[in-house]
Amino acid sequence: MQSEAIHVEGLSKTFNHTLKAVDRVSFDVHPGEAFGFLGPNGAGKTTTVSMLTALLAPTAGKAIVDGVDVFADPVHIKKRIGLVFQESTADSDLTGRENLELAASLFDVPRRETAQRVDSLLQRMEIGDAADRLARTYSGGMRRRLELAVGIIHAPRVLFLDEPTLGLDPQGRAGFWKYVQELRKDHGMTVFVTTHYLDEADTICDRLAIIDHGHIVATGSPSELKDRLGGDVITLRPAHGDGRLEPVLRAVPGVVSVAAQDGTYRVKCPKGEELVPALVEACYHAGIGLAGVSLKRPSLDEVFLEFTGREYREDEGLTATDRAVRVGQVQQAFGRARR
Amino acid sequence: MMRQLTALTRRELLRIARNPQAIGASLLLPVLYLILFGQGFNLPYPSYYIAGAPDYFSYFSAGMAGFVAVTATLFLGANVIFDRLFGVLKRTSATPATPASIFGSRLLAGSVQPIGLAFLVLGLAALLGHVGLAGLSVTQSVSPLGALEIVAAIVILSLMFASLFLAIGFSLQQPQTYFAVVNAINLPVLLTSAALYPVGRLPDWLKTIASYNPVTLAVEVIRQNLFSGSVGYYTYSPGIYLLGLAGWAVGMFLFAVVLAARALAPAR
Repeated sequence: MQSEAIHVEGLSKTFNHTLKAVDRVSFDVHPGEAFGFLGPNGAGKTTTVSMLTALLAPTAGKAIVDGVDVFADPVHIKKRIGLVFQESTADSDLTGRENLELAASLFDVPRRETAQRVDSLLQRMEIGDAADRLARTYSGGMRRRLELAVGIIHAPRVLFLDEPTLGLDPQGRAGFWKYVQELRKDHGMTVFVTTHYLDEADTICDRLAIIDHGHIVATGSPSELKDRLGGDVITLRPAHGDGRLEPVLRAVPGVVSVAAQDGTYRVKCPKGEELVPALVEACYHAGIGLAGVSLKRPSLDEVFLEFTGREYREDEGLTATDRAVRVGQVQQAFGRARR
Repeated sequence: MMRQLTALTRRELLRIARNPQAIGASLLLPVLYLILFGQGFNLPYPSYYIAGAPDYFSYFSAGMAGFVAVTATLFLGANVIFDRLFGVLKRTSATPATPASIFGSRLLAGSVQPIGLAFLVLGLAALLGHVGLAGLSVTQSVSPLGALEIVAAIVILSLMFASLFLAIGFSLQQPQTYFAVVNAINLPVLLTSAALYPVGRLPDWLKTIASYNPVTLAVEVIRQNLFSGSVGYYTYSPGIYLLGLAGWAVGMFLFAVVLAARALAPAR
């Protein structure tokens, strides 16, 4: 237990004695792991991150991060962790370099190392050319990279990312995760991330926890969670609408279920890529021609649907401001179309 | 702690320096008062009426030099609220920076600006006399101790109002509420002080309030050191006024520390 990067036990937070934002949550994050926390808006993700980073006092429970009791020693824990918020928190009136120098002083980075570390991070995050420009002139992607640099200036062992790519375009998101993956690779940093982009969680995270209404409803690696849904789906389309196909498919070892739908057959099985050749061969021996075969692994959207009972929408993770911006964009587009 | 305090104070000073509009806005009200109110009311009052000053404008200029400590610290609380809204305060709270260094840096940086502005107001008031308008006349040479007393009065008054406005900023969430509260403080503080008119001529109830008003305590120190006619007019020496002012500043500082510590503690 002590060797875990994060150990959480029975963590709860109740606001105003009535609203249970987080309810007896327990989980472990292994050292060097990228652990994703998924859930719809209001599920308790940010509340959990706020408690684990000593910004919010819990109602009950305990949390050990990097061997330190978060609630017994909040100042000590802040020295050992990095935090990137979902909103931009860099000081707009300071340059990128000044933001990093300020953070270095607050985290008590040795003075003789500060300049070298600041320069190195500015280059690594590809904002070296804009280092002496005020942060308010930065693009969204640059600001996110600056936020990340500020969050790791003190070389923390555990990095918390609270919806760090919210509002970024796909290119900005890919760039951001590239730096995070490099940090993990180079420094063995443990990363705890909340995100509402399921594709990101699938790609970045070693393990995930799905939280809903303050409870963790599932934990596991992305592939484990998908496997719990019954495995992959292979869709076969017979060349001539052959009705003999279903019993042939059922007879192949490893097939969990077969369902006919709109002239196609959907076969569920644990490891689809291994079963495709056997299914094709069975059809060949039965004299059934195939017009097409496709393999689909269950996505995290389906995992989310399975465990929370509702589909995951990207809008779930949007703030009111983001929604307003989207509404504005739609209205603008509508206006242009009418003109 | 010292490194955090220095770094955060530097940040605050950089923000002030990069926002000259805010400095201009702090000066605007006292300067408008000097040019519009001061010139208009510069009537030939008898010397005893204006506490030994050579004329009303000179009397009034010293009052404005004190009042600038109020207008120049007004923005401190608003900065706290905007920093909270824009996440800057949250970012700072996520670092090991202590609440004392966060509060202390804002207090220190915010108290520097009014010192320069107060002397700018006095300089401008003197300059007006050279362009055909009523201007500030200093009727005695200011001793080094007197200069020190003037600086101390402005510094302590600035610290006091900086503490007050920071306390309000740390307590409130919305800028609209902040500006409503501050406006409700600003004008009464000016009108119940000796910045505009002599305390001795006020009705008793207002005289009592004005005598204890921190702006009164500060501007009386300035006047005693600038005008020879003030000798014998004041009951107390500048040192006593400074002591009263320090009492105000300490009280307000403690009040602000309690509110800032509560606001910067982990949310419950």
